[in-house]
Amino acid sequence: MEAWQILLLTLYAAVSCWDHLCPMWYTWQPAIAGLFAGVVMGDMTTGLYIGGTLQLMVLGLGTFGGSSLPDYTSGALIGTAFAVTSGSKEIGLAIAVPTGVLLVQLDVLARFANTYFQHLCEKACERHDWRMVQAGVVMGIIPWSLSRIIPMLACLLLGQEVIATAAAVAPEWLINGFKFVGSLLPSVGLAILLRYLPLSRYWMFALLGFFLAAYLKVPVLGVAIVGLIAAGLKYAELIKAPAQPVLAAAAPVAVSADSTIEGTIDDDE
Amino acid sequence: MTNNETLQPADGRGNVELDKATLRKVFFRWYFFSQANWNYEKMQGAGYCFSMFPVLKKVYGDDDEAMHAAVANHLQFFNSSPQATPGILGINSAVESRLGSKGTEAIAGLKTGLMGPFAGVGDSLFGVVLQTVCGSLAAYQALEGSPVGCLIYLAVGFAMMAVRWTLFKIGYTQGERAVDTITEHLKPITECASVLGLTVVGAMITTVISISLSGTYVMGDLEKPIQGMLDGILPGMLPLIAVALVYMLLSRKGMTSNKVIAIVCALGLILGCTGFFA
Repeated sequence: MEAWQILLLTLYAAVSCWDHLCPMWYTWQPAIAGLFAGVVMGDMTTGLYIGGTLQLMVLGLGTFGGSSLPDYTSGALIGTAFAVTSGSKEIGLAIAVPTGVLLVQLDVLARFANTYFQHLCEKACERHDWRMVQAGVVMGIIPWSLSRIIPMLACLLLGQEVIATAAAVAPEWLINGFKFVGSLLPSVGLAILLRYLPLSRYWMFALLGFFLAAYLKVPVLGVAIVGLIAAGLKYAELIKAPAQPVLAAAAPVAVSADSTIEGTIDDDE
Repeated sequence: MTNNETLQPADGRGNVELDKATLRKVFFRWYFFSQANWNYEKMQGAGYCFSMFPVLKKVYGDDDEAMHAAVANHLQFFNSSPQATPGILGINSAVESRLGSKGTEAIAGLKTGLMGPFAGVGDSLFGVVLQTVCGSLAAYQALEGSPVGCLIYLAVGFAMMAVRWTLFKIGYTQGERAVDTITEHLKPITECASVLGLTVVGAMITTVISISLSGTYVMGDLEKPIQGMLDGILPGMLPLIAVALVYMLLSRKGMTSNKVIAIVCALGLILGCTGFFA
């Protein structure tokens, strides 16, 4: 791995961290991070494979109320880098998943560290130092960036040799095992997603999508068009109904959403 | 009327007309720094205060004590959907510029009252549903080797700026009345988006989970691949079973998504190593 590649990947991790917090251009999404890493490493397809697989694991997982998610952005960047240098997609993915799960701890640390800058703002406010109040907010970027830059540099600088050796000695059956894990993992993302979405009310639409893809072999984009039609019909129905039933129908939504979320995201802190 | 009001002193007595530049500053401060200082104690509190500064200067700038009260007021706990919060900032700007120091308590109440509902609608619409639909397409195309889905996703991210600005403008022009407008419009949209999301997810089950049985069924000199037989009964049966099992696993009490990932990895590794599955 060249120095400029390590630098670019590290920088991307820091910038996408800020993007996730503020403007939200979705650069932190694993598929997009994988695409970037793939282009930097000179193998876009591998980057898309690793990023795409991780992407399917985080569908429907948002950061609500300050919960931390597995850092699959860094996972995709590191996994892609090692997949390309070791020549094994399976090894790359086998590294990406645990990396993402471990690195979330640093996200938690950054959120703690920023309490310091919150206090800095409050003290500055007591002194009527308005400039400092504002600077304290902007400086919050520092812990966030460090929480991504340090692990990225450490992994990319120190891990390369280890991974290359591991990839060289791994037997065929073990690689096959990793490969199967890679194919199986998207089921976790889809299942989590189904628990967030109102499946009990709208299960027939999920079944419709499954039917179109499994039996009629309609590509996902085609299914999305059918979904759009269904959504349009639903919208017309909701708009036509008088205001009272809309609110009445919406009330149980909140209840069911609460009850489904319970138990699935309590690990994200 | 507007000409006179721009001359109003920034002494905290209110009735200040905010110019476009000030409003734009509030919007972009939130856009670029909303959660820069996110912390466990006050969450988005400091980021919210930072965003309101341009308005606070216009309304209280000359009166140091009034400014202090306002800054301290805005540094308090705040947490909502980053994408929906511009609506609250808009309402806040309208109310604060009209009432000035008289409105401090009303504004604190307004913020705490609105952040919950805005988070609820914003997170489910922008967080879950939008990211589901875009993420599904991006992931699906990525696995096919195409970057187009990713690029569409990025384009949607940039376009969301217009949505945020619209919410901000509705908030500012309608003041408190904006709450009804925003929630009434977003609720049916969230419902419909869920329909779209579920349809896509249903299709994704068979398209992105590529697991199959690799054995063959031998009877006399008749040899049939087992997977082919399964496809005859129900195409995509294994992926459907996998999702159903994980779904049930997630429903168990005390189960977390990280635990489920660990279980799936361990089980998948064992099954994959046996060579029966591919």
